[in-house]
Amino acid sequence: MFKLENIKKLKSTLLSVGLSTLLASSAMAASKESSVDGAVKYPTKDGKYSSYHVNTQDIKGYNIGRTPTKNEIKAWDIDVRPDGTGLPEFEMNRGQVVLGDDGKPKKAEGSVEWGGELYDAQCVMCHGDFGAGGKGGYPRLAGGSVNSLKHQRLNPADAHPNPESPLRTVGSYWPYASTLYWYIQDSMPYPNSKSLSNSETYAITAYLLSVNGIKFEGEEIDDEFVLDKEKMMKIKMPNVDGFYPEVDTKDPKEGVKNMTALLSDPKIYGTGTKCMKDCIKEDTEKLLMKIQYDLTASANQSISVERSLPKVEKAESVKPGQATYEANCLVCHGNPVIGAPVLGDKEAWAAVLEKGIEKVYHNGINGINGMPPKGGNMDLTDEQMKEVIDYMINSSK
Amino acid sequence: MKNSEVLQKEVKSNTSALTSRRDFFKKTAIYSAGALSAASVLTPVSAKADDPAIINEAPWGQKLGDPVDKNLYGIPSPYEHNNIRRTHELFSSGDTHASVSMCPIHESEGIITPNGLFFVRDHGGTAHVNPNEWRLMIHGKVKKEIVLTLEDLKKYPSETRTYFIECPANGSPEWRGPQFNSLQFMKGLMSAAQWTGVMLKTILEDLGLEKDAVWMLAEGSDNASNPRSIPVDKAMDDIMVVWGQNGEALRPEQGYPVRLVVPGWEGNLNTKWLRRLEFSDKPWHSKEETSKYTMLQKSGKAIRYFWVNEVNSVITSPCPEKPWKHLKKGEMVEIEGLAWSGHGTIKGVDISFDGGDNWVEAKLKGLVLPKSWTRFSYIVKWDGKPLILASRSYDDFGNIQPTIDEETSAVGVESVYHRNAIVTWEITSKGECNNVQIRKHKKA
Repeated sequence: MFKLENIKKLKSTLLSVGLSTLLASSAMAASKESSVDGAVKYPTKDGKYSSYHVNTQDIKGYNIGRTPTKNEIKAWDIDVRPDGTGLPEFEMNRGQVVLGDDGKPKKAEGSVEWGGELYDAQCVMCHGDFGAGGKGGYPRLAGGSVNSLKHQRLNPADAHPNPESPLRTVGSYWPYASTLYWYIQDSMPYPNSKSLSNSETYAITAYLLSVNGIKFEGEEIDDEFVLDKEKMMKIKMPNVDGFYPEVDTKDPKEGVKNMTALLSDPKIYGTGTKCMKDCIKEDTEKLLMKIQYDLTASANQSISVERSLPKVEKAESVKPGQATYEANCLVCHGNPVIGAPVLGDKEAWAAVLEKGIEKVYHNGINGINGMPPKGGNMDLTDEQMKEVIDYMINSSK
Repeated sequence: MKNSEVLQKEVKSNTSALTSRRDFFKKTAIYSAGALSAASVLTPVSAKADDPAIINEAPWGQKLGDPVDKNLYGIPSPYEHNNIRRTHELFSSGDTHASVSMCPIHESEGIITPNGLFFVRDHGGTAHVNPNEWRLMIHGKVKKEIVLTLEDLKKYPSETRTYFIECPANGSPEWRGPQFNSLQFMKGLMSAAQWTGVMLKTILEDLGLEKDAVWMLAEGSDNASNPRSIPVDKAMDDIMVVWGQNGEALRPEQGYPVRLVVPGWEGNLNTKWLRRLEFSDKPWHSKEETSKYTMLQKSGKAIRYFWVNEVNSVITSPCPEKPWKHLKKGEMVEIEGLAWSGHGTIKGVDISFDGGDNWVEAKLKGLVLPKSWTRFSYIVKWDGKPLILASRSYDDFGNIQPTIDEETSAVGVESVYHRNAIVTWEITSKGECNNVQIRKHKKA
């Protein structure tokens, strides 16, 4: 069964693998040009790129496309960097500065207190009170400590496995506050992204910094604290030095070189050995770790490789309100952990209906408990709201 | 579904015709209506008995098939309904808009994934982009800033190349032990395709880069935008701006109409629904390259970026979904699998039958391309005894796939991403196949 038919061949492979490892790790730049990740770079030679043939005609000046306008660039270029590039000083709307009542550009700023209100209206249903949430798998935003990052849960086969895991949150892990501002503005609130004004974004950022105990000029951030561009640039996150290699170097190419050096060194991330015989030197049977509890059993679709005909399901027609539900309401009303009545939960909806249908419409449109007005989807009309409420009620009878 | 409805009806109507004819045949077995159902024609019948799948005229052999204009866009046979992507709540951030669906790699053939089965990772749902309103803006430290329509983009000369895309979280639940008895959930966060688009280098050389344009930001147009920093060196090497996948337009789940393909690197960098490329002298430190896609080490510090998917392999047959239960003692069987490396081209794969104590060389099969799925094969005669199968690949960069012990001794168990350790399958004497790990114990 274990015929080692190619021992000779193996030896020569071993030798060449050993050699190339040596080449790759020690003298990367010397003879062979390597890629930015330190990997093999395939040059185009004789009109061929590795096995691919390529058209090597020397063509310049395609002159395709047009120049973007300044406003177009401003409308899309909303990224923010740790050095403050891109952090807005004023309120902007699709690339245009928003003017205040006095006709001057309106300053972008927001307080912790206001941020808390915005958070409770638009974020708390997923991220939980004070960012401690993580309801139904949504990310936790606060807690933990830089020190907790050293906790490694050990191999469970070890004598004393450490059950505590590192807690990676905004406060304990994120290196820069700029990332928080940018991400909230660009990708949140989750079902309705790119809808917050610059000031609202400053306010929510301030609130999240405060619940994470981040300090400003050595002092805790309190409710009255108002965040703006100037103050943002002075915020230092606790884990700012928690990452390597350095990439923000004076000579920008230096940072890329640091990355190449890291990715070229398999010792950093683990590499194997080309051992062919008696590699383990222990009783393999005793090292066998089996599945304790097979997570496959809780998959959303059961595993089967059977090739029998599927059961024919009746084609369901789309009901009025269903599309609105799936696009806007499902995130909360489809997840039992959130606490909102879930579609199909007869008891929960019967309890809601005790108030009378008009009151249910009213609450849906104006908000109730953790639910903001119209669930945060202000572009829905009152009629659409009623339609989707009817859909949820009728689907839960 | 409509197709399967029709087929099922056909099977039913033909069953009665067949049952009346069966009196003509030697009665070697009792045929129930069930025995003539679709399922049983696929399973072999016991020895000596005439196989009704041969003796009886098949329903599809006597009736007209579908007219050629029935499905103007073809769909798989309804019998293949189990060859689907699958999902698990463990991989969701709250709900299935920010989640993954796993590619059924246990059913994958060759080195290309059909477009409908390509794994999906969305951060804010699958966007449905109107191609007529799609724009790509290239700006920042370029000599000429531009906006392109889809029509404009396709004026550039195209290239077609085969690359895998893998989410670096592939296999991430298994750092501390095996958790899924399924190849699909173990390693299904990857797929491979033949991509068509323009080399980003072609566009950038035409526009001209400023001297200090060292970093590029790639951003999508979907709800999550998913901005990521990529070094310009990679852009000038092999990054493609892609509109074609396996001979047709990209699927919405893959970023229709245009995505980046960043060969060999983390799936997250292969920006879908691409809309903006900005050039700068500094990286951006977006959420997906600070809070996520960083590798926390034992020291409590994290590797900041980790772009490349390292050398990897897995035996796809047998696997927990496709065990050796049908094999008889002494039968020949092909062990087959996939190997891949973001660092270069697969040079070889070794196979072990005893959990990694001893190894033999497997054979590579078919096309062996850089940063592409590569098939390997080894034919054995199974004597019915229990085995622990494992595969170990190595690439032309010089990396060898590590054991789980070799990997965790370097990076600990809290990295989440980039787990490329050797995969081991336990084959029992009954031919069952289970996901196991071989790990050395540490004494207290």
